[in-house]
Amino acid sequence: MVRLQPDPFLNELTSMFERTTEKGSVWVTLKHSSDKSKVQRNKMATAGEEIEYRCLVRATDGKKNISTLVGAKDHQKFQASYATILKARMTALKKRERKDKRKAAEASTASDNKKHKGTKKRSSASKP
Amino acid sequence: MVYITSWDDFVERSIHLFRTTPEKTRYVMKYRHCDGKLVLKITDDKECIKFKTDQAQDAKKMETLNNIFFTMMARGPEVDITEVTGKEKAEAQPAKKRRGRKQLHLYLSLASIPFLRELF
Repeated sequence: MVRLQPDPFLNELTSMFERTTEKGSVWVTLKHSSDKSKVQRNKMATAGEEIEYRCLVRATDGKKNISTLVGAKDHQKFQASYATILKARMTALKKRERKDKRKAAEASTASDNKKHKGTKKRSSASKP
Repeated sequence: MVYITSWDDFVERSIHLFRTTPEKTRYVMKYRHCDGKLVLKITDDKECIKFKTDQAQDAKKMETLNNIFFTMMARGPEVDITEVTGKEKAEAQPAKKRRGRKQLHLYLSLASIPFLRELF
């Protein structure tokens, strides 16, 4: 696991996305962490020291692992850059095709109406 | 694995899960460009909820969720996240109002010029 600073982490994440265009996946994990072991945390808690929490961000492409810690002060900037990378890279997802959906919906309702009309005619003919 | 179909339900449950066990909860995102699929998972190693999609519109919704989690994880689980969702809406509204005022000012200033009044 390679621990990087936020900016090099983002650069490395971009190159991960580039490498996995044809094959492979990118996993990004977010976790609330203090970066201290349980023993250290317990000691700090009993001593009355305040434990500083940060956001641990990990990324992998199945082969290489990278991580970074984002504090409360720089999380806004990191989150903005991260969002830009995702928007630029996640282009393989399908765009919403409203026209096709509407046509499919209209077609299904039109076929339902025809069925209803057919049953009504039969019932009116059977009465007299 | 529990796959949730409703996005809003997924968001609500994930925030609740994080607030219940902030020490153990993690938010995982898996993206496959070759298949055009995106899967989100939130787990505290006891409960697990997932959301999968292949729609571009869900990527936009995921950005809001990312913002929520970044804020909560960097600052603390007790943080008021309506700041995150509320800020975006608040920024959109005054921007629209300003444009209207500028146009109104232009109109009034032009109307004040005597020879231009004939045009109006």
